[in-house]
Amino acid sequence: MQQLANTAFLLGLIGYSMAFALFVIDLARREPTPLAVRWAPRLVGAAAALHFAHVVISSFLTHTCPVGSVHFALSLVGLLSVVIYLILRRRENLHAIGALVTPTALTFLVAAQFVGATRVAAAPRRALLNFHITANLAGVTLFLLAATAGVLYLIKERQLRQKRLASGPAKLPPLDVLDTTLNRLLLLGFPLLTLGVVSGAVFAKQVEYGNAADLARAALAYATWLVVAGVLVLRKVAGWRGRRSAYGAILGTAFVLVVLVLYVVLPGARGGS
Amino acid sequence: MIVVVGLSHRSAPIEVRERLALSREEVPAVLRELMDQPAVAEVLILSTCNRVEVVAAGSEARGADLPAVADAALAALEARAPGVSAHVYRHLGADAVQHLFRVASSLDSLVLGEPQILGQLKQAFELAREAGTVGLRLNRTIPRAIRAAKRVRTETSVGSGQVSVPTVAADLATQIFGELRGRTAVLVGAGEMAETVARLLVAENVRLLVVGRDPAKVTELTDRIGGEPRGFDQLQPALQEADVVITSTSAPSYVVPYQLVASGHRARRGRSLFFIDLAVPRDVDPRVSDLDRVFAYNIDDFSRLVEETFSQRRREAEQAEQIVQSEAEGFDRWLDATEQVTPAIVALRSKFESILMEELERTLRGRLKHLSDEDRAALEKMREAAVNKLLHSATVNLRLVAQENLEDGMRTEQMVEALTALFEIDCDPPASVPRPSTPDAAGGEDINPTNHDVNGKASA
Repeated sequence: MQQLANTAFLLGLIGYSMAFALFVIDLARREPTPLAVRWAPRLVGAAAALHFAHVVISSFLTHTCPVGSVHFALSLVGLLSVVIYLILRRRENLHAIGALVTPTALTFLVAAQFVGATRVAAAPRRALLNFHITANLAGVTLFLLAATAGVLYLIKERQLRQKRLASGPAKLPPLDVLDTTLNRLLLLGFPLLTLGVVSGAVFAKQVEYGNAADLARAALAYATWLVVAGVLVLRKVAGWRGRRSAYGAILGTAFVLVVLVLYVVLPGARGGS
Repeated sequence: MIVVVGLSHRSAPIEVRERLALSREEVPAVLRELMDQPAVAEVLILSTCNRVEVVAAGSEARGADLPAVADAALAALEARAPGVSAHVYRHLGADAVQHLFRVASSLDSLVLGEPQILGQLKQAFELAREAGTVGLRLNRTIPRAIRAAKRVRTETSVGSGQVSVPTVAADLATQIFGELRGRTAVLVGAGEMAETVARLLVAENVRLLVVGRDPAKVTELTDRIGGEPRGFDQLQPALQEADVVITSTSAPSYVVPYQLVASGHRARRGRSLFFIDLAVPRDVDPRVSDLDRVFAYNIDDFSRLVEETFSQRRREAEQAEQIVQSEAEGFDRWLDATEQVTPAIVALRSKFESILMEELERTLRGRLKHLSDEDRAALEKMREAAVNKLLHSATVNLRLVAQENLEDGMRTEQMVEALTALFEIDCDPPASVPRPSTPDAAGGEDINPTNHDVNGKASA
């Protein structure tokens, strides 16, 4: 079984890498590259299936619920981002986002290997904790994708302003499509983040956490919530779209990523180590 | 071997080209006229807005009659439009093949790399085939020209990017907004390029508002290209509604000053705005680009983008020329090799066919005389298939040997001699190289001695 999990991991890794290479080739070349356009998403899909298999088999082997440990949560963020990308690209002209989503998934898949597949708090806290992690996991994934759309937006906008469209980035999705996608992802992710923050606060109160790492994580989570809330409100009220939304999404996601890094570097009581 | 006789944008002005231009309906009659010329055995006419070319072949092996074929083609063109000779070019043999490959690959086009020419060549080939004026030589040459063109398109970027200001402008609108349906465009002023951009946008179901000082001109414009007429005093509200603004007035100062856009910017609530300023002097204050989500391109910007595309295409054209060169040389070698061994292959096939036919007929008259017509037809098909299969490897290998030993033909000659001796065949080259029984045989697999030429001419 372990060998199967390892094989799925390795093949998933190769699949993501090859897909990433194809996305880069497609963007780097000015002319259409139908082969890369056709095969990159297929490879991403295959790699995601292997990634999923790896998570399932590994969780069985370690008798761990995938949403009950930082190890699997990290891996699932990568997997979910790929799945959402594959859904999005069918609906909108968002093929090129794959060039950022695949390395992200790859990073999370690999990074998860450096974190122990630990079990977390015992019942009765486990249900609340699982809910907290699931909400955060989905929220983080959506923010990651929003930040990806934000980065591409900034590249595309810069390109349009500099009036240099002769190179590959002309294949990036249209500016307004990126902006709309970014907004939708933030709108979807925000309630999940809110649930994550609230459930986290309740959970922390129950177990009376209070070390420096927990406080830092909580502070960053609140900061993220405020940034994203600010982006959404200002967009609605003051018409802050485009570049400002993109910077907001990137900043919010950066905070979330710092929270994740803190989980890995300073697991604290909740990490269960 | 073939000849190409004709004129193009390089050799003749439009007044001359239009005198020779042929519609699709006219082509078959002219093809027949050309086939009436004794020297011409095969012919095709490529007629586009930038060129009229006669691609023809004679019946003599190794192109001995090419000058006569070219003279005949030139005479036909001169008869159709007296005085065009001064603008006509002639390419013979390998030179004609290379020219044809360049034309198919769009390296000789007015707009380098434009994709239409390949379709036009295919259409011309189809027309000629329908008219029955395509024989072995054109059946060999045209598919190879199409192959070279496809290689050029897949292996180089000679056809990528937009090549006119209006198409670049419309493409940029798509890069900003994505789907254009339901967007609003404002056209201020009139000009050929501005109108073309507006038409391209209207074709994408964009709502068009036409703003102008002269109501009569505005109405005339909306009648011509569609859209809603607005007075010039309606410019500011129109800008509020607009996603794309196309300007092309002859006003000496900015028609769209910075303040006009900035004052309404907040009310737009962050919607993108794209200015396509085609006027000289400029109609749109360039400072509007400082506003968030406002993009202003002027005629110089568009021209530079078009030029970038052309520069890119010109760089790619060098690589494309190499591909064409190598394809043309490969074709020459293949043709030489084929012509060296074709008489032997034809004779061998003829021998096999006659033997099998004789045996089959004898059996059908004797033991199998009870067979129905259907069964006899099936046996006939089997005989044909048997000949093809028996000779397939011999044909392919013989051509291969000939191709590999083009410089010194000793080995080819030895093999042909061996075949002659072994099968007691007569390999004297025929006066005309026979035509393949099917168009697919242009690749050189099927040589049928029973179809010796197009329209039964010049096979003696």
